[in-house]
Amino acid sequence: MSFPGISTVKTKCKLFNKLVYSFLLILFSVSVFGQNSNCACFVKGVVRDKHSSQPVIGATVLIIGQNSGVFTDEKGRYELRDLCPGTYTLECRIVGYSAFRQTIDLTSGHIEDFSLQEQEIHLKDVEITAHRSDTPASQPLSTISGNELENTRGKSLAESLKGLPGVTSLQTGSSISKPVIHGLHSNRVLIMNNGVRQEGQQWGSEHAPEIDPFIATRLSVVKGAAGVRYGSDAIGGVILVEPEELPFDKPLSSELNTVGFSNGRQGVLSGTVQGGIKTLKGFGWRAQGTIKKSGNIRTPDYYLDNTGTNENNFSLAAGYRNKGFGIDLFYSRFDTKIGIFSGSHIGSVTDLLNVIKNGEPFIKSGFSYAIARPNQNVTHDLIKAETHYHFQNGNKIQWTAARQINNRNEYDLHRSRNDSIAALNHPELTFKLSTLTNDIVWDHKPIAGKLAGQVGVSTLYQYNLMSGRPLIPNFNQFNIGVFWMERLVKNSWELEAGVRYDYRKLKTYRIVSKEKLSDDFDFKNFSGTLGATKNFSGRLSARLNAGTAWRAPNVSELFSDGVHHGAAAYEKGDASLQPEMAVNTIGSVKYAGERLTFEVGGYYNFISDYIYLKPQPEPILTIRGAFPYFKYTQTDATFKGVDVSASWKFVKTTTFSSKLSYLQAYDRRNDNYLVMIPANRIDNQLKYDLPDFGNWHQTYISAGNLFVARQKRVPAESDFAPPPKAYSIWTIQAGSSIQLSNKHQLETGITVQNLFNTAYRDYLNRFRYYADEMGRNISIRFKYSFGA
Amino acid sequence: MKMNQKRTLALLLFTALTFTQCKDAGENVEPDDENELITTITLKFAEKGTTTVNTFSYKDTDGDGGNAPVQFDTILLKPNTAYTLTVEMKDESKTPAEDVTEEIQEKAEEHLLIYTPAPATLLTYTYGDKDANNFNIGLKGEALTGAAGTGKLKVQLRHQPGTKNGSAVPGSDDVNLDFTLTVK
Repeated sequence: MSFPGISTVKTKCKLFNKLVYSFLLILFSVSVFGQNSNCACFVKGVVRDKHSSQPVIGATVLIIGQNSGVFTDEKGRYELRDLCPGTYTLECRIVGYSAFRQTIDLTSGHIEDFSLQEQEIHLKDVEITAHRSDTPASQPLSTISGNELENTRGKSLAESLKGLPGVTSLQTGSSISKPVIHGLHSNRVLIMNNGVRQEGQQWGSEHAPEIDPFIATRLSVVKGAAGVRYGSDAIGGVILVEPEELPFDKPLSSELNTVGFSNGRQGVLSGTVQGGIKTLKGFGWRAQGTIKKSGNIRTPDYYLDNTGTNENNFSLAAGYRNKGFGIDLFYSRFDTKIGIFSGSHIGSVTDLLNVIKNGEPFIKSGFSYAIARPNQNVTHDLIKAETHYHFQNGNKIQWTAARQINNRNEYDLHRSRNDSIAALNHPELTFKLSTLTNDIVWDHKPIAGKLAGQVGVSTLYQYNLMSGRPLIPNFNQFNIGVFWMERLVKNSWELEAGVRYDYRKLKTYRIVSKEKLSDDFDFKNFSGTLGATKNFSGRLSARLNAGTAWRAPNVSELFSDGVHHGAAAYEKGDASLQPEMAVNTIGSVKYAGERLTFEVGGYYNFISDYIYLKPQPEPILTIRGAFPYFKYTQTDATFKGVDVSASWKFVKTTTFSSKLSYLQAYDRRNDNYLVMIPANRIDNQLKYDLPDFGNWHQTYISAGNLFVARQKRVPAESDFAPPPKAYSIWTIQAGSSIQLSNKHQLETGITVQNLFNTAYRDYLNRFRYYADEMGRNISIRFKYSFGA
Repeated sequence: MKMNQKRTLALLLFTALTFTQCKDAGENVEPDDENELITTITLKFAEKGTTTVNTFSYKDTDGDGGNAPVQFDTILLKPNTAYTLTVEMKDESKTPAEDVTEEIQEKAEEHLLIYTPAPATLLTYTYGDKDANNFNIGLKGEALTGAAGTGKLKVQLRHQPGTKNGSAVPGSDDVNLDFTLTVK
């Protein structure tokens, strides 16, 4: 959830400076009094709730780099004294929200000017987008928003997140992509879509998240175990997909995005219309929709047959605010049809070995938009209602109820041999997952002005119905979790601690030898988090967090029993699996200077009872021959690594930035490496900013290189082919923002990915055995905004 | 303001109803079948000029996994003898058992059976049937054994919808079995 606001920066002279910002739900006003140049300046103001206009008690306000943090008093006031003239960054924090920062200028020059005469100068309107975030503040949070997000428009969620250090993707060809955080994915990464945990068929590696990234104005990744706030599955991290706050009482505005990609001849069109209602105070609404169509993807040397996609998504939102009360309703529908490369159906091990030997697919094809078998047809509906009330005494309660219906139809390459059945063209696999979630969170008012916190309860009720080729059982699942988190802010230190308890009941139904069989499972677990943040100076800060998260084995891990045709492997579940538990320690140091910024983070994630597919000595004989036999087994695994991101503006117009992701994963019990761990990589970019030219602003050109090493840490004899070679691909980009008029703005960008049309393969792509990655891809995008 | 509160209340009620769900996944479990399952393949070697028919089978009645295959015969043939080889495939997981041979015959333009002896000298196979496009099928043919010896006979059913061109390359395996072959 995000809450933007508009703030007007005004300077009022004669030693009086008034800045008014609206921050999240809070109207946050700062008065700056500069008295003279001898460190006698002070900053004071009031923090108010945007709904109720009531003062907010116990919000932390601090000057970064000065050990002077204060809390707002019972009237929401704060005052920071004895400041020397200079530029400072002021930070305001309230539990449940990510930090809000604003730079204030207390230079002596200004003060002299101000003393001359009293006048009011309107400088500019600054839109500040601050965001609610329930994440522990001591855990690293990487975000893509603004221009960076615009550059990813038209891509899938996982592809959009790939630019963040420590984040990679697990692919099935080029059209299906799942986010990987610190080597963990699928059921080990939780996605919070607009404040609701996304419940699809995440267990499958070829099941991409059912989310339209155009819904979001901000995509964030919380790295590390975050089980306390988010519940089970947040082992590797959490992805937050956050739309903009509804435009309460604002004039009509709209936005139209068009993106064209040369590869796949893909076209994307996405539009948003939003506004308030003049006659209905406190009301806001938004309608958004996206259409996406793509044909066969081309690798440098050949097309991949049947790799088109067709996507139609829309969302509707409306909300109402009155004093402390607020309600938001949200509905979204995601509807996609994805063609699966027809050469990926592997009948037997011989088939796979033959195509590996051939070096490229046997199936050749030209360009086509048609989507034939095999394909996936997925719809995801989400309806959500969120209500909250801010009490006058500073307490707050929030209730979020959401229902999700996920329908997944998978069509195999081959229809039934029986003509009458084949004529029906039914999917060979149908999953219908229906989920109801309820979350109630109580934010208590700060105690002694120092300790703020929240308690909450979350429930989930879910059922899964499947038909077709037997794969996973039907199930009912119920989950309840209670959590409690507190945060203490003192001077430049910020400490936090939290605990959670979850209980999950799972009942499965399946057919074994024509008999209906049902199994009951109970899983329960505690999670905890403990963290500290220290601000050394305005520019340098450090954070350390130790958190735990758990995950119950999913139904496919419990009950799989059959040949996985994508993997040419026989996979068997184990109903006696126990939940896995992660203890993750993550520390980072951040420096943000004028020209140089960097963040270095290290993590050590210990996962006990890590569930993986263990190769068995004897193959399984089927009518399609013998398949290597893998059984879901548990071990203790460690994931340790380093993420580095740095950017250096070495001359005024030129910035060099670099991102490094390094990861080592190890199976502790068997003294061996783990399979499918992303290779280490470094991403370098050189960006040149052009000066403003007429109404062209923020014009830039950039060139970047991504180098991905070969994954050498793989268990011996565990794969049909060794991991692919290291690769290096180049990308160039240019973009600009054109102010057409006061209310009309056009943003445009051009990107060439894989500039030199390099043929390469990635270890985390399941097609690596037989097909190259996408070749050169030129994309052009336009974003036209009208209004606010 | 009162009006607004009423509206809100109505909205909340509506919302609560929307979010109610009551369903038991257990009521909906239906035994479902794999479309393409072949559980049994029987090779019938009829010795030419006699009425002797030798049958050898692979049988895994519950399909892949579950219980292990119940039958996987060794093919035992006489040296330097001509046989008529016919193949029968069934899906015995269903009651009554489904005749897959018939379906393959109907969709002959999508299927190709391949017999690969190793060493190659053990047996020579000659196709005895053609599909509408004049490509081999392999449901019926002739097998001529060589000198005595032991090896393997690989039996493959290639599923090649829209791509059948007479060669083994297109498509994927529906059957891929290595029978032990003894000629003595």
